[in-house]
Formats: sequence, structure tokens, C-alpha cells
Amino acid sequence: MEVKKELQEIFRDIFDDEDLVITEETTAEDIEDWDSLTHIQLIVAIEKKFQIKFSATEIKSSENVGEFVKMIEKKVEKEA
Amino acid sequence: MERNEKIVELKALLDEAGLDNFSRLMKLSRKYAKLDLQEAKTKKIAFLGTCSMQMIVSVTKLLLLRYDMIPEVYEGEYDGIKMDVWNDDSAFYAFAPDYVILLPDYRDVAPMPGMLATAKEVEECQSRAVDSWLKIYEKIHEKLPACQILCSNFVIPFANSLGNLEGNYLFSASSFYRQVNLGLIEKKPSYVTILDMEQLASYIGKSRWFDETAYFVSKAGFSYEFLGQYCDVIARQFMAILGKPKKCLVLDLDNTLWGGVVGDEGYDGIMLDPNDAIGEAYLAFQEYVMQLKDRGVILAVCSKNDFENAKEPFDKNEHMRIHYEDISCFVANWEDKVSNIRHISSSLNIGLDSLVFFDDNPTERELVRSFLPEVTTIEVPEDPAGYVRALDRAAVFDWLSLTKEDISRSQTYVDNRKREELMISCTDYEAYLEALGLEGNFEALNEKTIARFSQLINKSNQFNLRTRRYTEAEITAMMESDDYGLYTVSLKDKFSNYGVIACLVLQYQAGECFVDSWVMSCRVLKKDVEKYTMTKLLESAKARGCTKVVGEYLPTAKNGMVKELYQTFEFALTEEKEDGSRRFELTDMTKEYPYKIKENS
Repeated sequence: MEVKKELQEIFRDIFDDEDLVITEETTAEDIEDWDSLTHIQLIVAIEKKFQIKFSATEIKSSENVGEFVKMIEKKVEKEA
Repeated sequence: MERNEKIVELKALLDEAGLDNFSRLMKLSRKYAKLDLQEAKTKKIAFLGTCSMQMIVSVTKLLLLRYDMIPEVYEGEYDGIKMDVWNDDSAFYAFAPDYVILLPDYRDVAPMPGMLATAKEVEECQSRAVDSWLKIYEKIHEKLPACQILCSNFVIPFANSLGNLEGNYLFSASSFYRQVNLGLIEKKPSYVTILDMEQLASYIGKSRWFDETAYFVSKAGFSYEFLGQYCDVIARQFMAILGKPKKCLVLDLDNTLWGGVVGDEGYDGIMLDPNDAIGEAYLAFQEYVMQLKDRGVILAVCSKNDFENAKEPFDKNEHMRIHYEDISCFVANWEDKVSNIRHISSSLNIGLDSLVFFDDNPTERELVRSFLPEVTTIEVPEDPAGYVRALDRAAVFDWLSLTKEDISRSQTYVDNRKREELMISCTDYEAYLEALGLEGNFEALNEKTIARFSQLINKSNQFNLRTRRYTEAEITAMMESDDYGLYTVSLKDKFSNYGVIACLVLQYQAGECFVDSWVMSCRVLKKDVEKYTMTKLLESAKARGCTKVVGEYLPTAKNGMVKELYQTFEFALTEEKEDGSRRFELTDMTKEYPYKIKENS
């Protein structure tokens, strides 16, 4: 649950929308400014926040918020 | 909110954000994109590169706002340098940029030498690799003669197959990239400025600089964590291009140049011991400061001390690396530093925005920051071991070029003190000018003087009648044209050789000589150089068959001193506009302006 909350903060910051609420199912379709450029910014911000590094495969498959959460949890667990 | 207010707000946010926070910078660049700046746009910049350019362009634009530059921008396609350059009808040429920024990648270097290539073969290969870039520069210059080119050098990758042998052979990839970088320095034309990205990447560390995943996924040439610093290398060049370079370092003394307080500990009690870690740190900083002086940075001292106490270490402490005569303006008293820095600026005759302030005391820094925002105040760490890094990394002295005049500048300020002594011994000003033994030289611009010409045209703010800025490319184009006469004036006296201190751009048209640009270094004010220049200007106009000289004064915040210049030469005022600009003409081409400068050819 913590991960999703942190993720929401990152999304709110990048998309400059204080009221943005994300769910596991949120995809680029649901957020107007979510394009290839902001996608990279999301990756960089998440990597920095959680001190992790995504692989090329993971970046390509990260299509909705649920995928992000899963990937982050897996990585953070591994590191711990 | 008004557009201007939004810009001011964004600039403040930018200052606060720094360069290291990628997400923050991207967020601000989105804010920037939402501003309606269409009307404010002046110059045009084209970005052509090999890797992904989008973020580089948006963050560079954002950083340029610090220098109030709002450019119209062309963004080339991914891997589009050659496509845009070699196609005469490309959108790039149609855009007609004033500046082009080329950002190639090490993957563009070709050909590469083969295994066991001999030194001669490697050299030939290097020539071909360098030439392919020279051809690109020449092609751009041919199509856009006035366009200044800024080109990144090649960041040398860490992964090269020869392993330990990379450092042992000239034909190895890393040796070869190095040679190509050197070749670009050696052969680049003057309208090209190299952006030293290799240096930035080395400072950061190649293992962090390169991000292979980011390259394969989004064709990012480097890790976006460093996007701010990368774009800053580009943006900072424009500080110099726009005529806003820093020229003078203002130093505090106690706990800045040495450890301890000289007023309490005495000239031999302060910490400068070469056998002590702390003493060594202060000495290393002094040595770095002297290197800055050697490259032409003017040194000034601003210290809260009794003058005699402050000066004593310079005269008597054997460990001091900086000496009293290295300091062009030495201010030590109990006044506040804000007034003292104003005093330094006026006594050296350079703008507050040319000053860089270095002081270990955070309270003083805060005062200077809030009352003199034009002055660049360096954030100084507590540990003196970090002083060199703090000053070096602030990269405040990024100039466009380095000339003979730069190197001798600080010496000139010292010689000024000697001149003052001579003046006191003379009965009147005329006698003083006579005693100085001034010698002048007026000549057409040539290859030897072009770098200095460009520098004066772009740096001078005060004695500058129309404040037109020209790139070296534009200057070369005018030099080659019959419609223009470009001249330099050099001066020397018994104390020093000032070199080129004034420049003219004259435009001839139907028997009329229009003074497009007239700039002069303020170091030679009141030495009859104006009269000498005007006399020579008239001579050359007459030689071109002109019967009239037309001059203009376009006011800026800084050039008030030349407002009345044409009147002093008895030009007639023919037009005055509401914005304060004035137009003058002289039809009596036989006018004489006596001066005390001897001809030196």
C-alpha cells in the first residue's frame, strides 16, 4: 500500500495535478500528459525515489500503475 | 498574471531547483512550455543531434531564461545531423538559425583504425574522422554565413574491447576518440565553439554518466540524472555570447585566503603552513586563484579589516602565493561589503554583473545576494579543502575565447596604479597625456585581430553606441563584403601595451558612411582614443569617397556615457526618437580633432 501512495505523489508531481488519484488500472490512456516523454520522467523519478533500477524489459512492459507497483515491490524486497 | 511576472517567478523557481533535480527541471520546463512567449522570442537556435534531443532542448531553453534569452527553436530529428546538413532544402536551413548546437555521439566517429594500425595509419584515420566534421561545419557556414556553431566533443565510452591494452596503443578506440577530440580543437574554424561534454562526463564518472538501458529504451545519450548539468554547459556559453561574462573575482581574506583572523593572530600567525593539512588547503586555493589571474581574471579584495593589517601578510608572509601587486583593487575597511563591492565595481570601471564574490562567511554572502543580486555569489563550503572545487564547478568564467588582451588585463590594472602616480607628478592633464607617450595604430580587421574584435563587440557595454552583437561568423561575412569597413584601434603607452581597445564597423552606402558599431574598452577612457578614432574614421570614409558620416546612439541601461559623444565631435542632431535613440550626421569632412597619440605603424 505504501508503494502506491509514494507512486501517487510522484504522479501528482510529474503531471502537476494535486488531485490526481491513481488506481492499479490507471494507464497512459487515462492521463492526458502521459506520453513517451513523461513516461521516462516517471521511470527516472521512481528509480530515484526507491533507489532501484529498471531493466529494458520492465520499462517496456510498465503500461499501467499496477505493473509499476508490482515491479517496485519485487525490487525493493530483493534489495532488503 | 502578466507574462513578465510569470517569467520572474519561473526564474526564481529555477534558481531554487538547481541543476541536479531532473524531475523538478522537467516540471519547470513544462511550466515554461505553457507560457505564451511567441512575441518575446528574438534569436533562433537549432539543435541537431544523434541521440534523443527532446528533453535536452526543453531544459536548455529553460536554463537560457536565466540570461533572459527566449529563443525560437528548431529541433532536428533523431540521428538527424547529416540529414539536415547535407540537404540544401532541409527544414533546418529554412529555419535560418543564428546558432546551431550540434550534439554528436561517439558512435558517429568514423572511420576507426584497425587492429595493429601503425602510428601513421592512425593519424590518417584521425584526419579523415576529423575532416568529416570539418566538412559539416563548412557546409553550415556556407549556407548560413552568420550562424555560430556550438559542437559537443565526443564523450569517450568506458566499454572498449582492448581492456588493459586500451591505454597502450594509439589504435585503441579510447585512444582514438581522444585524438579525434584533439583534432577538432586543432582544426575547428573560429565560428565553431566546442562544448566540452567529455570533461563533464569525466567529472561525474563514466559509470554513472552512461545508462545503457536508457540508451536502448529511449536513445538517451547519457543518464537523465545529469540532464541539468549537460544543458547548463550549452546554456552557459550563451552567457558569454550575450555579452555577460564574469571578469573579476572579489575575495574575502580571513578564513578565505588563509586560516584565522589576521587582526588577532598577526601576519605570521595566520594558518598558511605548507606542512599542515589546513594550511595546504588555503595555499592550494591561493594557487588556483593565481591560475585564474594568469588567464586574465581580475582579482579584487574586499575584507573587514584595518587596511594595514590586511595588507601585511601580502608583503611579509613568505607562504603567500598571491601578492599585493596581483590585486587590482584592494579594499579593507569596516564599511559594509555591499558598499565596498559597489566601490570595487566603480573603481575598476566594470559592471556589478561582471563580479564574482567569494567569502567564507554565510552572513556576508546572504547580504551580497540580497542587496546585489547582479553579483554572482559562490556558495562556499565550510571545509577550505573544498574551496577550489566550489569555485571551479561554479564555472563562472566560461568565456568564448581567450586573447592576449585577456591575459595582460590584470597587469594593466596594476599599471593603472603607476599611471595614477605619474598623473600626480604632472602639472595638468595635457602634460600627463604627453608624459604617457601614447602610441596608436588604426588598421583594417585581419585574421590576427578577429578574435579580439569579436570579444570587444560582444563584451563592451558602456562605450558602445549601438550595442549590436555579432558572432565571429557574422564578422567574417562583413569582413569579406565590400559594403563594410571593419577597423581596430590599438594603443600602448610607456607602461603597457593595451593591444586592441576599440573597434569600428562602418557601412558604406551611396556616398554615406554609417557607423554601425563603435565600441571601446573603458580602460582607455580619457586618453584621446575617441579623437584619434574619429580622425581615422573620417580619413577612411573620405578614402571611400563618402561625403557624409552618419552616427547613431541607441540607449541601453549601461551606455549613458556615450550619449553626447557625437555632439563633442560637432555632429548635427538630425533625429531623436521617444525611446531616446538619436541620429547624427557630419557633412564637413575636413573637421580636425587634435589628439596626443603618436602614429605607430
